[in-house]
Amino acid sequence: MGKALVITSGKGGVGKTTSTANIGTALALMGKRVCLIDLDIGLRNLDVVLGLDNRIIYDIVDVASGRAKLAQALVKDKRFDDLLYLLPAAQNTDKTALNEQQVADIVNDLKPDFDYVLIDCPAGIEQGFLNAIAGADSAIIVTTPEISAVRDADRVVGLLEQHPLQEEPRLIINRIRQHMIDDGQSMDVDEITRHLGIDLLGIVYDDDDVIATSNKGEPVVLKTDNPAGQGYRDIARRLEGESVPLMQPKEEKKETAWQKLIGWFRKK
Amino acid sequence: MQEDAAVLRGTKDGYRIILDDQASVKEIFTSLKKLLDSLQSQSEFSKPKTISFDIKTGSRLLSSENRSKIEKMFADSKSFQVHKISSDVITKEKSDQLLEEGNIHILDNIIRNGQQVEIQGDVLFLGKIHEGGKLIASGNIFVFGEVKGIVQAGVPNFENKMIIGDVHTAQQVRIGEQFEILDDTNTGKIHDGTVIYVNDLHVIDYAKVEDIKEINPKFFNQIGGIVNG
Repeated sequence: MGKALVITSGKGGVGKTTSTANIGTALALMGKRVCLIDLDIGLRNLDVVLGLDNRIIYDIVDVASGRAKLAQALVKDKRFDDLLYLLPAAQNTDKTALNEQQVADIVNDLKPDFDYVLIDCPAGIEQGFLNAIAGADSAIIVTTPEISAVRDADRVVGLLEQHPLQEEPRLIINRIRQHMIDDGQSMDVDEITRHLGIDLLGIVYDDDDVIATSNKGEPVVLKTDNPAGQGYRDIARRLEGESVPLMQPKEEKKETAWQKLIGWFRKK
Repeated sequence: MQEDAAVLRGTKDGYRIILDDQASVKEIFTSLKKLLDSLQSQSEFSKPKTISFDIKTGSRLLSSENRSKIEKMFADSKSFQVHKISSDVITKEKSDQLLEEGNIHILDNIIRNGQQVEIQGDVLFLGKIHEGGKLIASGNIFVFGEVKGIVQAGVPNFENKMIIGDVHTAQQVRIGEQFEILDDTNTGKIHDGTVIYVNDLHVIDYAKVEDIKEINPKFFNQIGGIVNG
């Protein structure tokens, strides 16, 4: 029996969809069977990030309303030979097209066949959010080192405390910019984790390749040398129960004017 | 006395009952009853055999209630049945629908992500379909615009419909219940003037405009028009 995890944040644009795609892909790379569910009905993106958008025939609303069978709607990612599947969202309706019971039923139908069911939650705390948490065993909260994102994450943690899932929520801090933390312009990892009071699952450094790979429909974890990809691979390993030390920031060489001068002389 | 409101005529195609469109519905029912009764008594001596009738209502459109009343009258008699009830006239609604289906609709709008445009009949598409947009037609689709979404012809299940034009950038093409996902393996088959159709094996296939006569011989008749000389 697999585990259903909902990836949520409250705030939009912090990287829920990117995280879902990358954690799912990282788990598939580890040989796990993973099904990703896109619940952002009306504004679906997970299919695009995975490069599966042209393969959609049926969607989750078709399944919930009985127009299609669950197996018909699942889109297989050919890169991972039977390990990674997507249940896409509908595009021509809205979040109220589903209710909590329908989503819970679908998730429960998927759990026996997969090791992980990752649910990509839409932004906001309305019906879409309620649907997303309905079938989940545990939540992963995504935030960025920005006050507004942390506020919204705090609100979501509060809501989850009112309707607790089987397991405690865990935190991913996304888009970390080390130089801003060093300059004291943004909150650091410890500060955010302590403020929210939940376990830290992982951190992901901000990287241009995240956008570049997403534009090509290839999650960044597929790039072996990328720090953001490394962050997501570490998260996947921690989900599997391994203890992986937190990634250390890249040492950025800061040369003083004097050192630069010496270097210049050495080149000569 | 006035002529009967229901008259029996024999034609080379079989028996036909003509209901006078100037008579009242009440008169029609009385006279139809009378006619059936007399036919019944005449046929009692001959061999029992079911006879079916075509019923013509002239310039009158029977309400569905009256239609079922007539059908019931025939069903009650042992040896008679209605083949079909037809009229010389149709409702405006029906005629609009027929026009709609027979027309070629010219579209030049942008169909954006999540939008779905549904058309009865053929479509001449000059606009753009963005990724995630859908153009659905019950007839054929002729594409001159740019398609990056999904084009679906022959909805719900007309597999003799076609998609003509350069749709190699589309996400999917669908005809009736058949579909094909376009990716690197098959976009090379689509160029300007490609005809996408469903072949005898019920699989989506690609051909050139020159091949249409072979694929679907009736295609050019249905468009019509007057050719001089």
